[in-house]
Amino acid sequence: MARDKEYNRREFINRGARFTLGLSLAGVGVAAAVNAGSEKYLWQIDPFKCTQCGRCATDCVLSPSAVKCVHAYDICGYCDLCGGYFKPGVTDLDTGAEKQLCPAAAIERKFIEEPYFEYIIDEELCIGCAKCVKGCSAFGNGSLHLQIRHDICVNCNECSIARVCPSDAISRVPASEPYMIKGDFTANESGEAGA
Amino acid sequence: MIRKNYRLGFLVLMVFAFLALNAQQRFPKPEFESGYEQPNTTTPEPRTAGMEVFDVIVLFGVMALATWLILKKRSRRGVLWLSVFTLLYFGFYRNGCICPIGSIQNVTLALFDPGYKISITVLLFFLLPLVFALFYGRTFCAAACPLGAIQDLVVIRPISVSSWVRKTLSFIPHIYIGLAILFAATGTDFIICRYDPFVGIFRTDGPYLMIGLGIAFLVLGMFFARPYCRVFCPYSVLLGFMSHFSKKHITITPSECINCKLCANSCPFDAIEAPIDEKVRTESTVRKNLRNYVIFGLLVPVWIFAGGFAVSKAHVFLSKAHPDVYLSELLIAQPELREDTENLDIQAFLESGKSMDQLVEEASVIRSKFRTGGWYLGGYLGLVLGIMLMNQFVLRKRKDYIPHKRDCFSCGRCMDYCPVGEQSGDRKSGIVKAKQ
Amino acid sequence: MQISGIFTLVVAALLLINFVQLKKYEPLESQTLNTLVAQLEEDPRNEQLKEEIRDFDMMVRKAYFTSTWQVRTGALLMLIGGVLFAGSLKVYTDLRRRIGVPDTAKEDFLKARMTAWKWLLATGILVLGMAFFAAFSSTNYLENYYPEAIAGTGPSTMDETIEVIEIVDPADTSASGALAGAIQDTATGEPGQDTGADDSAQAGDGQTTAAQQAVPVEKIHGLAEFKKHHNSFRGPMALGVSYHKNIPTSWDGGAGTNVAWKVAISKPGYNSPVIWGDKLFLAGADEEARIVSCYDRHSGQLLWEKKADNIPGSPSTMPKVTDDTGLSAPTAVVDGYRVYAIFATGDVIAFDFEGNRVWARNLGVPQNHYGHSSSLLVWNGKVIVQYDTGKSGRMLALDTKTGASVWDISRDNHISWASPILVDYAGKIQVVTNTDPTVGGYDVETGEEIWKVDVMMGEVGPSCAYADGLVYANNEYASLVAINPEPGAAVQWESYDYLSEAASPVAYNGLLYLATSYGVLVCYDAKAGEQVWEMDFGTTLYSSPMVVDGKLYIMGNDGVMHIVKADRSGTLIGEPVLGEPSYAIPAFAGGKIYIRGSESLYCIGE
Repeated sequence: MARDKEYNRREFINRGARFTLGLSLAGVGVAAAVNAGSEKYLWQIDPFKCTQCGRCATDCVLSPSAVKCVHAYDICGYCDLCGGYFKPGVTDLDTGAEKQLCPAAAIERKFIEEPYFEYIIDEELCIGCAKCVKGCSAFGNGSLHLQIRHDICVNCNECSIARVCPSDAISRVPASEPYMIKGDFTANESGEAGA
Repeated sequence: MIRKNYRLGFLVLMVFAFLALNAQQRFPKPEFESGYEQPNTTTPEPRTAGMEVFDVIVLFGVMALATWLILKKRSRRGVLWLSVFTLLYFGFYRNGCICPIGSIQNVTLALFDPGYKISITVLLFFLLPLVFALFYGRTFCAAACPLGAIQDLVVIRPISVSSWVRKTLSFIPHIYIGLAILFAATGTDFIICRYDPFVGIFRTDGPYLMIGLGIAFLVLGMFFARPYCRVFCPYSVLLGFMSHFSKKHITITPSECINCKLCANSCPFDAIEAPIDEKVRTESTVRKNLRNYVIFGLLVPVWIFAGGFAVSKAHVFLSKAHPDVYLSELLIAQPELREDTENLDIQAFLESGKSMDQLVEEASVIRSKFRTGGWYLGGYLGLVLGIMLMNQFVLRKRKDYIPHKRDCFSCGRCMDYCPVGEQSGDRKSGIVKAKQ
Repeated sequence: MQISGIFTLVVAALLLINFVQLKKYEPLESQTLNTLVAQLEEDPRNEQLKEEIRDFDMMVRKAYFTSTWQVRTGALLMLIGGVLFAGSLKVYTDLRRRIGVPDTAKEDFLKARMTAWKWLLATGILVLGMAFFAAFSSTNYLENYYPEAIAGTGPSTMDETIEVIEIVDPADTSASGALAGAIQDTATGEPGQDTGADDSAQAGDGQTTAAQQAVPVEKIHGLAEFKKHHNSFRGPMALGVSYHKNIPTSWDGGAGTNVAWKVAISKPGYNSPVIWGDKLFLAGADEEARIVSCYDRHSGQLLWEKKADNIPGSPSTMPKVTDDTGLSAPTAVVDGYRVYAIFATGDVIAFDFEGNRVWARNLGVPQNHYGHSSSLLVWNGKVIVQYDTGKSGRMLALDTKTGASVWDISRDNHISWASPILVDYAGKIQVVTNTDPTVGGYDVETGEEIWKVDVMMGEVGPSCAYADGLVYANNEYASLVAINPEPGAAVQWESYDYLSEAASPVAYNGLLYLATSYGVLVCYDAKAGEQVWEMDFGTTLYSSPMVVDGKLYIMGNDGVMHIVKADRSGTLIGEPVLGEPSYAIPAFAGGKIYIRGSESLYCIGE
C-alpha cells in the first residue's frame, strides 16, 4: 500500500512535469512559428558586395568549393583584351597558358567575330578563386562574378564561407530566387558611388 | 596640369589603352553580325522544397517505426536496421545536414532575430523528436539520428565507466547547449554545426578539423560507446528532460523483473540502474542524505547567482567570438593593422565605407547582449549543477533493473538479454543463447 | 576482417598524405610557375620559356586534378573499408560475446555517489574559475574607444567655442569679399596656428587612427586664411596670385646658393607643392603606389608619407598614361585640417595633418588618354573635383570630412585637362572651368550652372584666370577670351595672337599675363585686350606664371625661373637656375620659394 502511494506520488509529479514540458515545448514552437515561413532558405553571394578576397575557394566545406564563377553574358563586352582572362600587361592576345589568369584554365576563349570573343566558364574546372572576377571588375564590365551553385552546395546550416566573408556578401536568400546573377548596372553604379 | 597636346594623328585610339582605361559597363554589348547566339547563364536548381517536406515525413516515419519496434515489437534487430537506413538516408544521402541537433540554433535565432525567417521544416525537425521523447523516450536517438547511428554501429567493446565520471561528464552538454544558444541568439556563430564531428564523414569531404574529429570520435566510440551523444550532444539535454518525464519508456523486461542480473552489463552506455540494496537504506544513511539534500538545496540559489555573475563577467571574453566585436577590438588595439594589406577583414572594412563609430557601436550592442546572456547562461549552469548535486543525495527505493529514463537511448540492446518472455516464446532468444 | 582493417588503414594513410598536400601546397599556386612567368615578363619574346611555362602549367594542373580525384576516390574507398571493417568487427565480437554474465563487480552505490558529488562540485568550481579567469584575462577594448575618440577630436573640442563671425579681412581687396569673409575664421594668429593646436592636442594621443573617425565641428577657413598659406594649385583659389612678401629673386640650385634645403622626391609626379602652416604636401605616383608626402617646410624633413591604396573601385593595374602627364599630375589641396589628393586612377584620398587616412574613394577610373590632370580645390567644407573624362563631363563636390558627394553634376562638355578656379563674383563663389567647348561658372554650394559660353575647342589644358569681374580663358588652336561671369555671359574681347597650351594665364592689377609653351610671355591689358608687351625666353614651358610680391615668376621646363616685374614695363628681374628640369608651379610661404624639380624638392631662401 505504501509503495502504491509513493508510486502514485511519483506518477503525479511525472505527469505534472510532462505537462509543463509539453506546454513549454508548444510555447517555443508557437513563438518560433510566428517567425516561420514555408519558404526554404539557401546561401547566395551578392556580387555587388563581393570583394573577391579569394576565401570562397578555400573556406567552403567542399573541395573544390561550391562557389563557381558564372558569366552574365548580358553585360559582357566580349572584349578582345579580357581583364578576366588575361594576366595584366599581356600584349599578345592568344590562349597561351602563360597569359591566362585562371589557375585552373577554366575559361574558354572563343572567337565570334572581329573583334569580339566569347568567354565560357567550365564549372567542372573552376575552383571559385575569383581571380578572373577581380580582373573583370577592375577592367571590364564585371560580367564575371561568383555564385554559389546549388547543385553542388550542401546548404550547411551556417555557411562556412559566410562566416569568414570579409564583406558580408553571403546571406540567406529565399529558395524561390536562389541566384543573384548580375545584369543590372544601376545597382553597381550606386554601390560604387556610395563607397 | 602639365600635359601636352599631341598631334591629332596620335589620337588614334589604340584598342589597348581604350580597354585598360575603361571601367565598369564601358563596353556596350556588341551588335553581332555573324548571327551569334548568346548563351544563357545557367542556374542549376537547388533541391526542391518538396524534398524538404519529404525529409520531415521520413523523420516522422522513422521515429514512429522505431517507437513501434521498441515499445511494441521489442526488436533490437529492427532498430539496428532502421538505424542503418537512417545512416544512409540522413547521413550519407542528406549529408547530415538538416538535423534536429543543429536546429536548436535556428529556433533560437528565430526567437531572437526578427529578421530571420525559420523554415517550417526546420522547426518540425526541432520539435518532432522532442514530442516523441516526451511520450515515448529517446526513440530519436535509437534510430532516427544519423550521428547516433554511426556511433552505435561502431560500438565494439564498450567499457563500463564509473558513475562519478559519467555524472561529471554529463555536465558538458549543458555548457555546450548554453553556449550554442548564447552564440546563436547573438548572431555570432552556429557552433554546433561548426564542430559537428560527423558531417565531414557523411560528405566524404570537409576541413581537417571536422574529419579528424569524426575519426577520433569513431575510434573512441569503439570502446566508449556513443561518446558524442553522452558527453557533448547539446540536443541530448532537451531530449533528456523530455524523456525523463516520458509517458511510456522502453522497459528491459516485458513483464515482471526477476532480478536475474543478465541485463546489467548489456548496456554499452551504463544507462541501466541496478536495484538499491535495502541494506544501504539504513536509518542513519537516509537521515544523513536528507540533511545533505536540504543543504545542497539551499545552496542552489547561491550556485545560480555565482554562475550568473561569473559568466556575465566573462562576457567580454565570450563576445570576442563575434566577428564584428573581434574586428573592432583589433582595430582599436592595433590601429597599425589598417596598413596591413594582407588582413582581408580589415581591408574589406576600410573599403566598405562604414565608419569606425558605427562598427564600435554595433560591437558594443553585441557585447551588452552577451552580458545579459551571460547572466542567463551562468544562472542556468548554476541551477543545473545545484540540482545535480542535490540528486546525489536522493535515495529512492529501487527493486528492479531499470533503464535510466534520461540517459537511455532506447537502443533496445537490453531487451535481448532479458529472459522473461511475453506470451509468445520467440522473444526468449536471450535465455536460449545464454543456455547454449 | 583483418584484410578490411588493413585496407582501411592503408587507404586512410594515403588519403591523409594526399589531403595534406592538397591543402598545404595549393598546387595551382605553384611557386615555380610564378617565377617562370616573372622571367617571361622580363623577356617577352622567349619562345622556349613560353613552351616551358605551358608544359609546366599543364603538369601542375594535371597533378592537381589527379590529386583531387585521388582524394575523392580515396575517401570513398576508405568509407567502404570502414564499413566493412566495422561490419566484420561486429560479427567477430558478436561471436565472442560474453553472454548473460551476471552482475558481479558492481560498484559500491553509496561510495560512488560520494565521489560523484565531490567531482561535480569540483567541476562547478572549475567552470566558475574558468569564467572568472576569462573575465579577468580579457581586455574590453571597446571601452577604450570613446575616451580616446574625445581626446583625439583635436583642435575643435579643445577650442572652447566655434565662432563664425563676419569680419572683412583688410588684406582682401576684392570688391565683393563679403562672402569670403563670412565664412572665414576669426583666427588672427600666425599662419600655422591651427596646425600647432592640432599637434599639441594629438601629441599625447597614441591612437588617433581609431579616434579620428569622430568628426568634430571645424571652423571653415576662407580666403583670408588661405592667403596666409599656399593651399592649392596656383595659390589661394587657384588664381595664380600669392600674397606672401620678401620672396628671393636670385639663387643657384646647382651650386646651392641661396638654397635653404633640398630633398629627394620619392615618387614622380607633375603636381605642385601646397603649403599650410609649417607643412608642405606633395603627391607622387608610379606603377607600384600612389602616395602623399608631408614635409616640414622649415627643415625639409619628411614627416610622413602615406599610400593611397585599398580604395574600393581602384584598379589593380594602372591606367595607361603618357610620360608627360603621369599618374599624379593633379595638385593636392589643403584646408587647414586635411590634405586631399587625386590620382590618375580616379582615387581621391584625404589625410589629416598627422598622416592618418580620413577617407578615400574612387570616382571610377577616368577614361583619359593622357592621364587625369585637373587639380583639386577646397571651399566651405567641400573638395571640388573637375572630372571631365572621355565618357562624360562631370564635376563633383565632396564633403571634406567624409568624402561623400555633396553634389555631382554631369555636363555636356568633352574631356579636359584644365583645373577649376574659384571666382568671387556678385556675392557668390563660383567654380569656373575651361573645357571643350564650354567656359562656365557653377555655384560652389550647389553645382548649379550660373553661366556658360561655348567658345573653346581642342584638348583644353590651361585653366582660367580671373580678376576684377572678368574671367579669362584660352587654349591653343582656339582663342583667348574675356568673359563677364554672370547669367547672360558673353565674350567681352578676344585675341588669337598668342595662346597657351599648358600654362594658365594670370590676371593681376589690370594686366593679363599669358605664357605659351614655346616660351613667349605676353602681357595684355585686362580690360581692353590690347597687347602691352611680349618677351621671348626661347625655352619650353608648361608651368604657369605666379604673381607674388609684384613680380611674375615663371618656371621653364629647363629649370630656369624667369622673374619679371608685373607691370606695364615688363622688366626682367632675373633668371636664376634650379639645376634640374621643373614642370611644377612654385609655392610661396614665409619669404621662401618651394620648387618641385624633377628629382628634388627645393626650398629657396636664406
